[in-house]
Amino acid sequence: MKVLIIEDEISLLRSITEYFRKEDYLCEGAGSYAEGIARIEDFYYDCIILDINLPGGSGLDLLRYLRTHNKQDGVIIISARDSLDDKIAGLNLGADDYLVKPFHLSELNARVKALIRRKYGQGNNLISLGNLTVDILSRTAFIDKAPVLLTKNEYDLLLFLLANKNRVVSRKSIAEHLFGQEADNLPSFDFVYSHIKNLKKKMKEKGADDIIETVYGLGYKIIG
Amino acid sequence: MTKSLQQKHTRYLFARLLAVLLLGSIAFYFFMRMHAEHMQLKQLELRQRNLQSAFLLQQNTLMPFHITGEYDIAENGTLPPQQLGKPRDTLVFYPAENKSLPFAILTRAFDANGRHYQLTTYVSSTEIDHLIMKVFGTEAFLFGLLFVVIIYINYKTSGVLWKPFRNTLQKLREYDITKQQPVELGADTGTREFDELNEVAAQLIKKNRQAYHQQKQFVENASHEIQTPLAIIRSKLELLIDQPNITAQVAALLADITEANDRLSQMNRNLLLLAKIENNQFPETAAVNVSVLMEKIIAVYRQHYSGEFPEIETAIQPDLLINCNASLIEILLNNLVKNAVVHNIPGGYIKVELTGDCLRIANSGQPQAIASERIFERFGKGTDETRSTGLGLALVKQVCQLYNWKVDYTYQNAVHTITVMFSAT
Repeated sequence: MKVLIIEDEISLLRSITEYFRKEDYLCEGAGSYAEGIARIEDFYYDCIILDINLPGGSGLDLLRYLRTHNKQDGVIIISARDSLDDKIAGLNLGADDYLVKPFHLSELNARVKALIRRKYGQGNNLISLGNLTVDILSRTAFIDKAPVLLTKNEYDLLLFLLANKNRVVSRKSIAEHLFGQEADNLPSFDFVYSHIKNLKKKMKEKGADDIIETVYGLGYKIIG
Repeated sequence: MTKSLQQKHTRYLFARLLAVLLLGSIAFYFFMRMHAEHMQLKQLELRQRNLQSAFLLQQNTLMPFHITGEYDIAENGTLPPQQLGKPRDTLVFYPAENKSLPFAILTRAFDANGRHYQLTTYVSSTEIDHLIMKVFGTEAFLFGLLFVVIIYINYKTSGVLWKPFRNTLQKLREYDITKQQPVELGADTGTREFDELNEVAAQLIKKNRQAYHQQKQFVENASHEIQTPLAIIRSKLELLIDQPNITAQVAALLADITEANDRLSQMNRNLLLLAKIENNQFPETAAVNVSVLMEKIIAVYRQHYSGEFPEIETAIQPDLLINCNASLIEILLNNLVKNAVVHNIPGGYIKVELTGDCLRIANSGQPQAIASERIFERFGKGTDETRSTGLGLALVKQVCQLYNWKVDYTYQNAVHTITVMFSAT
């Protein structure tokens, strides 16, 4: 998988690159509009992570360039602008996803994976880990072929953890994944704990391995 | 007790003008009296001269010695010399009418043919008294009229003259620095003082506006700039917590840093949101079903609040539509509910009432820790509640201000109540 990150904030660019290293992606970075154009002209990327405010031009123009030149690279916009208009403009220009800064790297990772699965999955709608299998299409989890009845939140949580396999995912990023920015308005993220508890309980009942781990006060991790 | 300038002016003039006119009348009366007496004296003296010369010419035989009310000639008169030549008052009895009339008299002595005579001349005082009374009456009437007219004119003029002032005052009163609309103070009122006042006020407003604008810009720019470092810290923290072999001690540190950073992010986001609302960056409005939205928000809270959730009692009128921005009303309702949840007490309750155009959220809570008027201020926090950014109610207020809704806070018997009147005030 080749991923291009176009982001002028070098420190953030490095964070994203570093996070993706574990995923066996081939990551390349570009810090400006011109650099970005040069990259996309020469290479094909499975996924481009695109900032809107770039030195030398707008990320939206870059996206327009990409699409008018008939390049079908997947694009996820990352932007500090969170108005609905910006989102619609980005998606209309052919972006596959839109993520508002500041975001969690685990969220970005999950979005990239979802994008790649959508674009290149070619019918492979199953995610497996040990005796756990998740069918993306029917949104169902199975333990050794036996379905586990999960609520929507529990299912989303499981999928999120799976996308960030072997990584610690913070409670706040889970809360935001489940509720978007509205999570900010919740007085506490303790509900994440009860979701995790229920999920673990349901999986255990079906005889799943204990793959969800609690990491001190930091968050949770699926081990596989 | 303060009075209007017009009242004060009139009152001031009233007292002084009355005093001046009264004193003037008294003086006028005395002057008139004085002149009348002088005239009487002259008449008496003229008579003296005429009668004396007539007496001397007539050789004392033909002329009567006494005519009532005209003169009196007394041979060897007995009036003491010190009274001679000085006018005196007396009463003369008229038997025909059976009454006494006042007269002014003057007596002088003269010699004729070796004999001593004393001549007393008479002038009636009645006519002159009547004249004085009539003139004085006319004067009093004129003064009275003058008094009323002056007061009236003054009252009216003062009203007209101060009109530009009242206009300016009204405009200044209506001026709201948080709204973008400019203030039009009349540049040419026709009165130099008011022109100056308007000019100075306009300058003051301009300066204040600039300062306000700069401050607003600063907050906005600052929160914009802070966003990036916060995002970087967040990403680095995510990388850090994902490191292998983290000890419990390091994990605890990281958890604290993450939490603090998240709080900072949230605060910053709220500050940006405040700036955006203030800049009117939520122009789209639609009829929002507030009743449904409120139920939804309460449901979300109930679902995701672990720990003891306060008892919620709702009285929500169904399908209440409010014309506003959908995101803003959601922010408003969310923050009100959050406020009521976070600042509650164990085993407490929340009462949500949505009827007509009025939303009332009451919750049990700790005694008031912050003055009522400061509760809607930014960072006007009463407690060191870590779950609160100190901006929630400021956001509520900001949204209300945008739509001219009235928002009120009251505290009574350990119950905190926030009321929002959706009808424009």
